[in-house]
Amino acid sequence: MQYVGEHLLPGQVGHLLVVLSFVSALLASFSYFWATRRHGLPEGAGWLQLGRGAFVVHGLATLGVIGALFFILVNKYYEYQYAWANVSDDLPFQYTFSAFWKEQQGSFLLWSFWHIVLGLVLMLRAGRWESPVLAVLSLAEAFIGSMILGLYFGEYRLGVSPFDLLRHTMDAPIFERADYLSQITGNGLNPLLQNYWMTIHPPTLFLGFASTLVPFSYAVAGLWTGEHREWLKPALPWALFSAAILGLGILMGGAWAYVALSFGGYWAWDPVENTSLVPWITLVAGIHAHLIARNTGYSIRSVYAFYLITFVLVLYSTYLTRSGILGDSSAHAFTEMGLGAQLIAFIGAFAALAIALMAVRGKGIPAPPQEETIASREFWMFVGVLVLFFSAVLITGATSLPVWNKLVQWFKPDYVGAALKDPVAHHNRYQLWIGVFVGLLTGVAQWLRYRERHAEVWRRTFTKHMFIALVGAGVLTALNALWLDMYAWQHFALLFAAMFAVVANADYLVVFARKNLRQAGSALSHMGFGLLLLGILGTGLNKRWISSNTFAMEGLIEGMGGEELNRNVLLLKEAPMPIRGYEATYLGDTLERQTRTFKVRFRKRDAQGNFTGEEFVLHPNVMYDRRFSQVVASNPSTKHYLTYDIFTHISSLPKAELDPEFARQQEDSIRFETYEAAIGDTIFTKKHYLVLDDYTKAPQHPEYRPEKGDLAFGLKLRAFSLNDTAGHSAAPMLYLRPKQGAFTLPAQIGALQMRVRLTEASLARLLDADNALQYRTLRLKEGESVGFEGYRVHLVRLNRRVEHPHYDAQDGDLAVAAQLRITAPDSTSAEVAPVFLIRDSRPLNLKDEVAQWGLHFRFENIDPNTATMTILAAKAPEDLQRIPIEIAENAPRSDYIVLEAIVFPGINLVWLGSLLMLLGLGLSAWNRWAQRSRLIA
Amino acid sequence: MKRSHLIAITVIAVAIGILISASQDVTTYANFAQAAEKGDRVKLVGQLVKDRPIAYDPEKDPNYLAFYLRDDAGEVRQVVLRAGKPQDFERSEQIVLTGQMRGEVFEASDMLLKCPSKYKDEEIYVRSEKQ
Repeated sequence: MQYVGEHLLPGQVGHLLVVLSFVSALLASFSYFWATRRHGLPEGAGWLQLGRGAFVVHGLATLGVIGALFFILVNKYYEYQYAWANVSDDLPFQYTFSAFWKEQQGSFLLWSFWHIVLGLVLMLRAGRWESPVLAVLSLAEAFIGSMILGLYFGEYRLGVSPFDLLRHTMDAPIFERADYLSQITGNGLNPLLQNYWMTIHPPTLFLGFASTLVPFSYAVAGLWTGEHREWLKPALPWALFSAAILGLGILMGGAWAYVALSFGGYWAWDPVENTSLVPWITLVAGIHAHLIARNTGYSIRSVYAFYLITFVLVLYSTYLTRSGILGDSSAHAFTEMGLGAQLIAFIGAFAALAIALMAVRGKGIPAPPQEETIASREFWMFVGVLVLFFSAVLITGATSLPVWNKLVQWFKPDYVGAALKDPVAHHNRYQLWIGVFVGLLTGVAQWLRYRERHAEVWRRTFTKHMFIALVGAGVLTALNALWLDMYAWQHFALLFAAMFAVVANADYLVVFARKNLRQAGSALSHMGFGLLLLGILGTGLNKRWISSNTFAMEGLIEGMGGEELNRNVLLLKEAPMPIRGYEATYLGDTLERQTRTFKVRFRKRDAQGNFTGEEFVLHPNVMYDRRFSQVVASNPSTKHYLTYDIFTHISSLPKAELDPEFARQQEDSIRFETYEAAIGDTIFTKKHYLVLDDYTKAPQHPEYRPEKGDLAFGLKLRAFSLNDTAGHSAAPMLYLRPKQGAFTLPAQIGALQMRVRLTEASLARLLDADNALQYRTLRLKEGESVGFEGYRVHLVRLNRRVEHPHYDAQDGDLAVAAQLRITAPDSTSAEVAPVFLIRDSRPLNLKDEVAQWGLHFRFENIDPNTATMTILAAKAPEDLQRIPIEIAENAPRSDYIVLEAIVFPGINLVWLGSLLMLLGLGLSAWNRWAQRSRLIA
Repeated sequence: MKRSHLIAITVIAVAIGILISASQDVTTYANFAQAAEKGDRVKLVGQLVKDRPIAYDPEKDPNYLAFYLRDDAGEVRQVVLRAGKPQDFERSEQIVLTGQMRGEVFEASDMLLKCPSKYKDEEIYVRSEKQ
């Protein structure tokens, strides 16, 4: 079939470039391999040139692939599955990036992009290490390129192309039409992903992942060439850079989860988080071993091991998150694409390369003949490295249970599989000790020296500063125990270790690093680590659900108790609810596009329950899908203080709010009774009574958006329950919209479970009343009065500034309002302003009325000669003044929200500590890079 | 003995110790019958029974959710979770629970929903305005 309107060229070009990119990566790797093997020989130079050329071609081809895919997304070519699944016509442009790397192919391209950027920098700056390093990097690129190849070898498909056509990936009757393209539209991006975190988090994280390949490649190069010491210097800034960026990427993930998602925290020990954290830990362990090796020559073997394992763990993490194997244990959603086998091959190849090199070349790795002394920095640093290694092993082991299950099931199909009972408690229990040891070691090791030969001389300084750190940490621990609630001695241990790290490293900064800020990297990082531990203690141990009202919930459910069971509180609209430490009131909500935003006011109360005067309003929201058929996201709103945050999100809503279909059914099932009332009347219903206060032509309603040409009217009522004199106001309304019809907007009085609405009968009565009017002519000059049905009608003045709800000013109008004051026999008075108007040489008039007396006025004419106005006045018959109103009692309430509110003490310490840690790493990276550049120059 | 050997022995000893103690944190997957038999906390995978009532009345208690679940063996039991009802609960294709049997009811402390369609809606929207 010949399809109409398809754009096949960008896909064909893209696919060609994918193949070119893959082939050139292979060629680059092969050429660089021989350039390394033939280094120093004439043909080596040739291989090097070929490798460079191939890598540049690979880079350009990959950029071309990215460009082609981007082109397809920007132009919304829905004939491509990738565009159809991820963008839509109404998707704002800035989210095209998010749509690009949302799927596996896009994120592989992003990863590849960073490899290419890093590769080009290496090509320019790595000197003689270029060949071996880029040989490895290009090999990795070939593997990544194979993931998006989309080539078939018989039944087996190698990679999944991002350029697949929708009609090839899906089987639907619509593709039997040649013009199917004009019938379909894109799915769009999940609203959860339509935020700036999705724009900045993936590129940062993937730069982090990509940069771990550089230390890996240097390690391979070192083993390969046998120059075990020489690669250490150029590789160090890369490793530091990688740790800084990968750390930043992970931190952004945590911040995203905390700020924009309703996870209720920044870290949940979710497998996806764990598998990105573990490579960072091994990388940091590697950096410490690296520093030992650079300064003393010890532990080069560990440097190799850690850098090699780090990249393999990055690949393992990729496998876990992309193969769908974590299905039962992670809250994250994955799209499984059948790349599992290819990913295993990728891991296998790089793991085999690492193991083989270590096995074959490991014997030649040099080490000093003497052991390090116990009083030296390298000894305690190495102990720290082992602690980090433990941490990595523990997390990986627990996270890999699903992989283990699968492996065992392969051999024993009836194996049921193991899982962690409570992952968070498990990880916290063990990682706490990692925190304690690392905290203490950072403080101690910082004050020791490399290759200590004069321990007795240094001992005095060391003892003095350890004393400062111990005393300082002790005092601060005692003080902090007042701020935080501690539940076990282990928590005190962690608190002390954190304080020790902070004090010892701050002391070090003051004594040494202030002279040279560039040297401050390590002390800054370690101090940051201490602060991070403090923040974790605060947020983890003292995270408090304040959204509970034990009072209100008590006894409702049998056997319920304990704080963790009381995390949500129901807030009725406008009904203040006492919760822990606050009073929360759900004030109202507004709907804009697909987002419904709720206003919740918090007023702080002291221990006696009195208001402290402090109050704030939070705006959590929920997002509906494009068809308003369900809620797809609940976005939190957080009040930030220096020492704590108050985090809130909507955990549930009335079913009528979640499901419009249900809401319609519910509305239909409500029984309304009809009552009639004139202005000023009181209506008695079964349980309540209402006073009809007023009638307006300019009504307001939360769901009413006035449009030109609307004819609207509304009532103002107050409803009372029989035993409560506090009234609830209600303002139902009705409007006629040209060509669309009449719409009624009911008023809800949640507290009385009452619903009040107007019907077309109400409208008809108003129109009938108008038709039945018998107007009498009154002639008045400005300032004159005349009697009418016992009332006095006084023409105050004529007004050229016309403010009548039904008056739309037009060019050429000649409009004037008669300002009338009507005085009743009981000498109460009211003002009306009917309008006389000449439009297109035709006289028109707009009436006005005193609804409570049933008086209607029209301004019919002006006699310019005598300056006399013709006013028509009428009094409506009693029975026609009464307006039918429909009232339902026992209407189900849908004016509440279920809110979760959590206090996070010390959350800012988490951010500050992490940022200091990364800043320290970045500072060190920059410092080492500068040293290295000076050397080259 | 060299110091490095001492360290190696310590490391191995600690590792074994941790492994033994950590194994207590591990539980197995089970269905309702096995959970009742074990009496201990287990992981349980199943599907929401959509034609049985889902009890969640936030006006009474926003922290009480009860529903029926069909396990791998096809057995249907009531599950009680002391938490709010997640927004896309009814749409879940698979539910992973952690908890234990108490009498006839499975009391869950943790629930994980799998809604693959959350990120991918395999449905073609037909443009109505163009027809």
